[in-house]
Amino acid sequence: MGISIKKGKSVSIDSIGLALKMVGVGKRYPATIAVDNVDFEVYAGEVHALVGENGAGKTTLMKMLAGSFNDYTGAIFINDKMVRLSSPSIAKSYGIGMIYQELSLAQPISIAENLLVGRLPRKGLFIDREKMVREAKRLLKTVGLDLDPLLPIEDISQHEAQLVEIAKVLGTNPCILVMDEPTSALSREEVDRLFAIIAKLRNRGMAIVYISHHLPEVFQVADRVTVMRDAKKVATKNIDEVTREEIVHMMVGKSIKELYKREERQMGKLRLEVKGLSRYGFFHNIDIRLHEGEILGICGLSGAGRSELAQVICGVEQADEGSVVLDGEPLDGLSMAKRVVRGLGYLTEDRKLEGLALRLAMDDNILSSVIPQLKQGVVYNKKTGWPKAEKLIKELSIYPSDLDRTAGNLSGGNQQKLLLAKWMAINPKVLILDEPSRGVDVGAKMTIHETIERLAREGSSILIISSDLPELVRLADRVIIMRKGHFTKIMEQDECSEESLLLAANTEMIV
Amino acid sequence: MNVAQKVDTRALRTNRFSKVLSTVGIYAIAALFLLLGILLQSMGLINNFMTSQNLLNIVDAVSLLGIVAVGMAFITYSGHYADLSAPTTIALTGIVSVELLRYGFISAMVGAFVVGLLIGVINGVVIGKFKANPIIWTLAMSYVTMGIIRFIWVNKQIYPDIITDDVRAVMLFDNIYRFRLFNVLSLPLIFMLLLVVAGQFILKRTPFGAQLKITGSAKRTAKFSGINVELMVTLAFVISAFTTTVAGLAITSLSRVGAYYNGAGYDFRAVTAIVIGGMTLAGGRGSIIGVLGGTLVIGLMNNIMTLLGVGTFSQDIIRGAIFIMVVGINAKTLRSMGRDDT
Repeated sequence: MGISIKKGKSVSIDSIGLALKMVGVGKRYPATIAVDNVDFEVYAGEVHALVGENGAGKTTLMKMLAGSFNDYTGAIFINDKMVRLSSPSIAKSYGIGMIYQELSLAQPISIAENLLVGRLPRKGLFIDREKMVREAKRLLKTVGLDLDPLLPIEDISQHEAQLVEIAKVLGTNPCILVMDEPTSALSREEVDRLFAIIAKLRNRGMAIVYISHHLPEVFQVADRVTVMRDAKKVATKNIDEVTREEIVHMMVGKSIKELYKREERQMGKLRLEVKGLSRYGFFHNIDIRLHEGEILGICGLSGAGRSELAQVICGVEQADEGSVVLDGEPLDGLSMAKRVVRGLGYLTEDRKLEGLALRLAMDDNILSSVIPQLKQGVVYNKKTGWPKAEKLIKELSIYPSDLDRTAGNLSGGNQQKLLLAKWMAINPKVLILDEPSRGVDVGAKMTIHETIERLAREGSSILIISSDLPELVRLADRVIIMRKGHFTKIMEQDECSEESLLLAANTEMIV
Repeated sequence: MNVAQKVDTRALRTNRFSKVLSTVGIYAIAALFLLLGILLQSMGLINNFMTSQNLLNIVDAVSLLGIVAVGMAFITYSGHYADLSAPTTIALTGIVSVELLRYGFISAMVGAFVVGLLIGVINGVVIGKFKANPIIWTLAMSYVTMGIIRFIWVNKQIYPDIITDDVRAVMLFDNIYRFRLFNVLSLPLIFMLLLVVAGQFILKRTPFGAQLKITGSAKRTAKFSGINVELMVTLAFVISAFTTTVAGLAITSLSRVGAYYNGAGYDFRAVTAIVIGGMTLAGGRGSIIGVLGGTLVIGLMNNIMTLLGVGTFSQDIIRGAIFIMVVGINAKTLRSMGRDDT
């Protein structure tokens, strides 16, 4: 079996070294198996894309390589030598460089100091500034940046910071480079520039693992691709032997047609009206008209004011201007408790801190928003809520299904389903969902999506805030693009596709 | 096929048996201390353990501590650790009631509760609404109340029978502690039992208790579930202030003197009883029945140590060591079950 390298050359295994070989590696967390018996190989001089849905195990696999775990199972070989990567410093010493989604640069200090952190050139007791600047300039050149190395990080743009991050890792002379979604903050030209750098590094014989959600990029940059699903490896393919549809099929275990099968829904009367709502500094003059049985999507980068908007609508924070009307009745000035009773629910983005009480049992969690509704006189007995809780657990196939199970011991996907169950318990007229399927496995995601659609069919109105474009395309009847606290565009369902939303979001980013 | 189906169940073993054991356990420990007392007496190391007088002494001491602990348990349960202003609240409500005895018994009672509940409301609002650190704030509150006592009464101790000539009022006041129903059941014991029953009911069987549980376990989650967290926390501090005032009246009646030093040490002893009784400092866990068990253990232990001739300061050291041990074991158990409380 030979692997093909772009530009038409085909090289056999013998002539190219195997930079990384992971054999039967696995990692389990207390309640879930994150990586299950995976084999993964990367050659020197290869860009190897690693794709999969959120929670498929890609990031855990790469963290293993970065030395984040000392209890992984299986064997890892680097340049044919078996190694035990039990700490980040050991991993670094074997030449493994990691570039994460979240930037790891220290804000107030200079580019040069960030680039050379831990190995600043010294002259006696003091830092050798001249040498530092010279070395930093050389590193910046490798990523095509021409910046003053003495500028503080906070003064450069985010995409420049991303490139500085890459330069910083390159400065440690890695032989294996892992990039986790390196393009999420970059514009198109910057992406092209990054790809040119990646090609150069590959031609120099570096082994590159490229993690991405964005399949067009994968086809542009990768030589081979490995697909993961549910903690397991599905397949490794040469990039010119697969189509985009096949990769998606492997990622989700279903064909695209099955995935985007839509059922017709009936839209009813106006349910929720938001008029000129503002919270200074967060969002301004927002209008929303949400009908019975409608699913309305809000798309925007985090920091665009999406969650703040949801918090004002649900009554946790107060508006500075404007009003919220539910079924013709104004809600302004009412506490969240009173709005919950009227059928307005808010599923928070952060399920661990703001969604669930992880130390409490499942029944406590599911019923936490309906305690005042379930009381009989002054008495509250959670047993009266059990039939409801059991029904919801069954509907959402939450596993394990015992009511007295501690929520914190469930897997991420089941916790997220539990959170949805908690808000279904209030019999919502309007449900605001903030990233309802972030970081969950594919199975849970399917269940959550089907449940949201069912809720809408049964007459609930759904406002869904998401950074997950396929999710919005699949679920929403209309999508509002939000940027810096303003609604900038509304897209009807027939104009919504992953590409058009991405384009809209990208255009908005440049403007 | 789905990851969720292959859940690793090792971490999930907290069953009903362990729950029951943790409540019954504290009573088993209390029984052990009782046996220890009997054993020490039979060995001739202590005298007068199993006498009706000594057992009554234990019950009386447990009653006073229990009254404070039951209320303070609501604060612990809400995730706000403890009320360090309890001792000075005891002193202040006591001294106020003695001072107001000159206007009659009823005025004395009303005055004490007004002052006590006011402290509770201030604590609750500052900590619940303005998010002050409960330990620092109640510590500050204890200094303020102590300052008020020192400012108004200087270092004076005031005696009910000197304050007023109203013999009936003085007698009623004395009887708060001394009256015994059927010559056995003291009023503090009756109060404590009533408070335990009411507290257990409120904590486990009312909407307030259920919402307090969520608040204590995950404050931000409570807020985003439509629970009025500020009100819950305020109510917890008011409940604590209420029972502390009851204890203040009983303790002052016992000593027959209103003075700044009444109630000293009740803060730490109450927290120890609460924690030993199975209510973790992290909040949202435990029961009032457990707290009663913890109070019993503390009461028996104190009694045996006193009979053994262990000095007051040595007793403090031992109680402190036990507190640290229990908190340590508690944290370790939770961590090993994968439920770190940080």
